[in-house]
Parts: sequence; C-alpha cells; structure tokens
Amino acid sequence: MNMTTPIEQREFKIVGKSVKRDDVLEKVTGEAQYTGDIKLPGMLHGKIKRAAIAHARIKSIDVSKALAYPGVKAVLTHETVPRVLHYGSPHPRSASCTKDQYILDHKVRFWGEGVAAVAAISEEIADEALDLIEVEYEALPGVFEPEDAVQLGAPLIHEVGPGGNLVLDPVRVNRGDIDKGFAEADFVLEGTFAGGRPHPAYMEPNVCVADWDGSNKLTFWTSTQTSFMVRGILAEVLGLPLTKVRVLVDHMGGGFGAKQDLFQHEFLCALLAKETRRPVKMEFTRHETFVAGRSRHPCKIWLKQGFKNDGTLVARDMKLVYDSGAYGSHGPGVTIVGTTAATSLYRCENVRLEGRCVYTNTPINGAFRGYGVVQSYYALDIQMDEAAERLGMDPAELKLKNVVRAGDIAPSGHPIIGHGLEICLKHGIDVLDWTTLRGRDRTPDPKRPHIRKGWGIGCEMHGSSAYPGIKEQGNATVKVNEDGTVTLLTGAAGLGTGAHTALAQIVAEELGVRFEDVGVIHGDTDVVPWDIGAFASHTTYLVGTAAKMAAEKVRAAVLARAAMKLQVSAEEIDLSEGKVFLIAEPDRSMTVSEAMGPSRGIPAANIVANGTYEPTKSYSFAAHFTEVDIDTETGIVEVKRVVPVHDVGRVIHPIAAQGQIEGGIQQGIGHTLTEDYVIDKKTGRSLNAGLVDYKMPLSMDMPDIETIILEAAPDPGGPWGAKGVGEDPIIAIGPSIANAIHDAIGVRFHHYPITPEDILKALREKGA
Amino acid sequence: MKRMVEFTVNGEAREMAVNGCCSLLDALRDEVGLTGTKKGCDVGDCGACTVLVDGEPVNACLMLAVEAEGRAVETVEGLQPGVDRLHPLQDAFMRHGASQCGFCTPGILMMAKKLLDDNPHPSDEDIRFGLSGNICRCTGYTKIFDAIKSAAREMEATRP
Repeated sequence: MNMTTPIEQREFKIVGKSVKRDDVLEKVTGEAQYTGDIKLPGMLHGKIKRAAIAHARIKSIDVSKALAYPGVKAVLTHETVPRVLHYGSPHPRSASCTKDQYILDHKVRFWGEGVAAVAAISEEIADEALDLIEVEYEALPGVFEPEDAVQLGAPLIHEVGPGGNLVLDPVRVNRGDIDKGFAEADFVLEGTFAGGRPHPAYMEPNVCVADWDGSNKLTFWTSTQTSFMVRGILAEVLGLPLTKVRVLVDHMGGGFGAKQDLFQHEFLCALLAKETRRPVKMEFTRHETFVAGRSRHPCKIWLKQGFKNDGTLVARDMKLVYDSGAYGSHGPGVTIVGTTAATSLYRCENVRLEGRCVYTNTPINGAFRGYGVVQSYYALDIQMDEAAERLGMDPAELKLKNVVRAGDIAPSGHPIIGHGLEICLKHGIDVLDWTTLRGRDRTPDPKRPHIRKGWGIGCEMHGSSAYPGIKEQGNATVKVNEDGTVTLLTGAAGLGTGAHTALAQIVAEELGVRFEDVGVIHGDTDVVPWDIGAFASHTTYLVGTAAKMAAEKVRAAVLARAAMKLQVSAEEIDLSEGKVFLIAEPDRSMTVSEAMGPSRGIPAANIVANGTYEPTKSYSFAAHFTEVDIDTETGIVEVKRVVPVHDVGRVIHPIAAQGQIEGGIQQGIGHTLTEDYVIDKKTGRSLNAGLVDYKMPLSMDMPDIETIILEAAPDPGGPWGAKGVGEDPIIAIGPSIANAIHDAIGVRFHHYPITPEDILKALREKGA
Repeated sequence: MKRMVEFTVNGEAREMAVNGCCSLLDALRDEVGLTGTKKGCDVGDCGACTVLVDGEPVNACLMLAVEAEGRAVETVEGLQPGVDRLHPLQDAFMRHGASQCGFCTPGILMMAKKLLDDNPHPSDEDIRFGLSGNICRCTGYTKIFDAIKSAAREMEATRP
C-alpha cells in the first residue's frame, strides 16, 4: 500500500527457493560466535546486586566490604553512575516512549531491580562480592495489579508521566456512532478477558561485553535486535558522540522482540569497563532473564459487541488495561498497537476503544512477538465464536461473513490490500472439510470416553512495520566487487529467522547474479548503514525493499559498464545468473566478473549503491484450525493437530517462513495452556523464574503442524509483494485453542493460560 | 585450589588446571576454548550444553570437570567427519531449516547423534522422547524431527 505501482511479475530464479542459510552452516558446526563466546585479554566479569524488595527508597548503600574483597575491581551504585533520565525502549523517531528510568536510582520499583554492580576477576568472585554490599531500604507500599495501581491514593511508582501510575494518557479510538450501533443490534455480548504474563524465554541469556580504547571509544558487543538503538542511547546517556560508540552483534540466540530494550546491565557493563579500564563481560543467569528481562504485558479486557440476527457486527466497545510492570519500556507502543488493532480483524463500523497502560511494582514488560495484539485479538476472536454459538451458526461461517476485506480501513489508517484473511479461512475450511469435521463425534474413542475432542478456528492480521507509531527507515548498501561478487551491507540483526539469507536472495534476484555470489556484512554499527532494528515482522519487507532498490541501481551501473566494454548500448543487453548478454544475440556475453574486472584501458572497479525505504505498512493474515484432546479426568489439554493457513504475500524463503509459523505456534500453545511468569501479589516476588517452573511446550508436547502458506494478497509495499510473517502465528493460535476447548467440552474460557485446574473446576461447575 | 584434570575432547588429549567447582561446560568453553557448547541455564534444565561423555549424553553444566578425568568427551566441534564434510545430521539440519537462532542446535545435534547411534530407525515417538530434555524455542521442533528422520535415512543408505 506504499506504492501505487503494480507488483512486478517475473520468473523467479532465487526468490521462493529454500536456499541454504550461511548462518546455519556456522551453527551446526559450533563455529558461530555469540556474544557470550567472546573472551578478551584481561576481561573482568560483571554482576548486578538485585533488590529483594519490590518498592523502597534506598537509605544507604555500603560497598566498602565488597570493594575490599580480593579480586573485586570496581563497584557502582546510584551515587557513582551518571544520573540521566532515559527511555527504556530506544526507538527513535517515536514520541510513544516515556523517559522514566535512570541507570541506577535511589529508589527500587520492582523485586529484582539492580541497585549496584560489581566487576571482578571471575564470575564467582563478583557473585560473592554482591553479598558483601549492604543496602538499607525504607520500604514503600507496593502495588502489584493495575486495578490497585489506578486507585486514588495508590502509592506512586514514578514521578514522571501523566500521573496516577499511568504510563501514558489513555489511547482512545472512536469510529462511527457507538450508540447508534448498539441501538441497531439484535443482541449484545459482553465479557471480560484476561491474559497472563508469558515470557519469551529465548535460549541465549542476555549478555554483553564492553571495552574502551585509549581514545575513549567504547566497543560494545551485545545480544540485541536493535544495535543502532543501543548505540544511540548508550551515547546519549554516557555523553558520547555516536562516533565513540561501536556496537557489534554477530549471531544471537533468539529475541522474539524482548531484546530491543536498552537494559540496565548494558549501561552498567559499559561503566564498569570504563571505571576499570579493562574489558567487562556481563551475562545474565537464566533467573535474571526472567527477573530483569521483558515479558508480555498482562492484560485485562472488557469487550461488548452488538450483532444483528444475520450475524452482522454493528458495534464494538472495548476497554483494555495493560500492566507495564515497573517501567514504561514498550508499554506505550504495545498499548497503541494492541488497542488500535481492535478497530479491525472483523468489520465493524461503530467502534469505541480505550487502552490504558499502568505501572505496577512488578518486573518490566516489554516487546514480545505479537506486541499487544495477542491480547486484544484473543478477546475479539473468542467473542466472535460466542456470537456464532448464540446465532446457532458455524463459527467459520460467521467469521467469513465478518472478516476484513480489500479496501477496508486497516488499523494503520490505510485501505487493506487483497482478501488475504477471507482466502485463508476459505482454504482451511476446504482443506479440512470443516463442516464434516464439526459434525464428528466429540468422544470418538469408545475405550477412552473421558477424552473429548474439539476443533477451533483463530483468525488474525498483523502489520509488517511499526507504522504509524514509528515512521521507519530501512537501509541497504550493495557493492559489486571487482570479481563480480556482491556484498550486501545491512544493519538488520540476525536473530535467527534467516533474514540475512532472504535479503541476499532479494539482491541476487534483482541484480541477476547467483545467490552464492552474494555475501552479507552485518552487525557492526561502524560499518553498515543505519538500521531501526529487527522487529515488527518487518526485516524482509522493509530492509528487503531497500536492498532491492540498491540492487536495482547497481544492476543499471553494471549494465552500463558492460555495455561500454561490449561496445553496445545498455538497452541492448540484459543480465541474468551472473552473465551480461546481448538480448538479440545471447551468445555474445560476458560474466559480471569480466564486466567488473580490468581490461585494456579500463581498470577494475567497484559499483556501490544505497537503497533507503520509508514504508507505511502492509498486513499479513492467518487462520489457524486447531484440534485438541481434553482429558476430562486430569484436565490436561493436548493440542493434537494445527493447520495454520497464512497469507504472507510473496514468499522469499519457504522453509524459513514455515519455521516462523511453526515456532510461533509452539510459543502460542505455551501462552494459552502452560506458560505464565507468576509474580506474588503480596510481595511482588517472582515465583517461577526458571525453565523447570516456567513450563514451555517441548518436543513431547508439539502437535502435528501442517503449515499452509498462500501468496494470497501480495502487497506492493514489500519486495515483489512480500509481507511479514514473524508475529502472525502467535496471535492466531491462542483463540483457536480456546475455541477448540469450548467445542470439546462446552466451556468458554476468557483467559490464558487455561490450566488443567481451570478445566477441572469448570467441568465440576458444569456438572453441578 | 585448582586440580589438574585430563580427558579427551573429540579425540584430543587435554590437560588443564580447574577449580573443584568448575563444571565440564565451563572447562570446555573457558579452558579448552570450544564455545560451540552453549550455556542456556547452567542448572540442567535446557539441554543446550549436551555433550557425550564416553558415548552417553550429559548436561555439561551438571558435571564437574574433575568428574571427566580419563573420559572421552565429544562436542559439536567433533561432529564433522572431515574438514569439508558435514555429519549427515548437520547437513540435514541445514537443509530442513532445523536451526533458527542456533543456540540449542549443538546440544540437540549431540542428543540426536546419540539417538541415531543407539537406534538407527527411530519412530516419531522415539525422536520426540529422545529430545525431551532439549529446549528449542524457535522452531516448534517440526523441522528438527524432519531433519533427524532425513539424516537417519541417509545414514542407513550409506551404511556399509
């Protein structure tokens, strides 16, 4: 929807093929270097002293014993670090961030917040020194639930912001006439919904290494999705020009959105290295990834919708309250995106939405795959199922009737391109023979009558790019080297999705060279063009378009150079598979290598071009069809089979796209059934910050997934119509499971995770 | 107090001085300098540090380096049969998209090697059960299952 030009059609040679990923070769051999693998001469180890209280003022900190401990080289507290108020979420060009944090403050706002940092010659010594730091607290009353935090007289967690523990002013969206809509309704459904606190649990704990050189320049390795944002905020808070901060990230062990904050430990690592004039590594324990990492915002939703008896949706009134935890982080963005998303998915002309985001004395919630929309669409999609039940309609039929279509106004304010969701739904209904499936016995196994089976559908749409919240910019530099090979320089992070491979495919396709001849340079802010970061399902869409633009320019220049050498005009020749040839006489040709290399009177050369792309937004769509088995004796829900049908526009790398969908389903099953990072409501203390007590679906729990990707609605905003795919699956799977549970046992759940205890309790109540 | 310990890593004899509390994982990463084996939790929950000790899979974070005395340790770095050749599992992981962020991959490869060494024709259930101690958070496991089945077929076809 960014350009009005039609999408170019061509016979693809590289795009659409699952070429081998270079990064994976290094990963299967163990050679891939992650930040935690870095070991520098003289390197110290940093550790953070964490508060064992959720809300307090620090009366005093005595670090003398820690400093005297053999092997300790430096200790930092709020009295010795720069006091600069800064953003937690470092997105530039965005007004949606609240500056609400210091590197270290004299106040503690959540259990586990860092209050001091130590650098020592070993991790063990640094750890032991933490116990020697004596902190005296003046306890403050804490608030652990948004509804308590917004009460009059509730303890205030921050001095900044709009007040009343709000992270930002309420987000309000009004379309049409809500009163008129409800007046026209034949019936109204109203319900409250609640989402837990799932944690991304990427496999690589947060880690960084800081090293200063003699010119006072900081080199900083960190596992981040947003290296240029890290550079920007580090420079700002430490008072350095951007040329004095170099951020490096090669491989990273996952992020799922949550590695796009500027974390407290990152500042402290840099400052400890500065103080000691030695490199310092700081690596989270798994426990710290929970306590000091970022989780999804718990959310409470009130949803009231009016329907006509023919199934037409005529009014939607919705209030959402997101729990930000102790700091703003991505709270503003999540609230805006999650709230405005509810204008769409299912058509409704009369909409009134209000989203709030509230501080509590709990660990920080941040960006996580599905960014606020997981919560709002869970409610929308479940209530749509309820409406179908009320109408005596098949939910597939009701959803099909109401899903957004081409020309409808998307949450971004732009008309939607194509009928992606409708096509996904219809395809799934056909492939599964949904109507027959619905008529099947719910207890098909007479030997196991306690096992009940159910099927559910979940629908979603999600934007590629963070527009309009953030006006994004994607950059790429493409160099054709003197031997005809090609180098792509990109700032996009490689968090494991295969994005660099997709970008190289796009360059090779557009330029007309072999995929193997394109190398990708990334992960060094001193070298590659500026990048906004890998998030919002946008790397292929945003940076892919920028790379295509750069490739288009170098292609023209290569053709011009070859034309000069062949002594023909550039219009007479074409370039394909690394060869320049005369269109009229294909046998007269030269390789790109010959075109770029030296020949009599013409020295070898490089051709360099940049692409810069500032998109609006495109939407991808999905419908998930999910089968569950419920053991009515134990309450255990087993997801047996998922058929996810996705429209992602043009597919660049099919296996990588499928991998995103299957991984998103895994995380979404966890969110819906087993995963919840639990914070004690009386103390704010973490109760399950570890991988045994925080229960994720593993190999034994995974259903059969039959991924279907349709190129149903290519969008001219992305390269050859490509759109995002990273976040979509995690949004659709949740409601499909909740709806399947209802189909199996006739009980409607409005929250996640839906635990075996919930199932048994509901079955008991239903029986009674 | 450091102690000398000696064991083989991927067939090479290694001798090093370690603290009594040093895990095999830290010894491999910090003393031997093989960082392919990853630290995902350091408490035996995630399986990212799976290595083979005398042919048996072990969470290297739960074993002390001194316990490896005299034993044979195999890590992901020893999986390749030759400089330019990949183990069928490594190749299958590439072809099938079984590795995304790759942080769990070395541990899963070692566990899968053990699985196929013991059971050349694993059923789907065997594979699922075999990997039940290895957390992968990216792939949903689907492509990992595909890769292991594919490698098993290839190893069968090339077995003398």
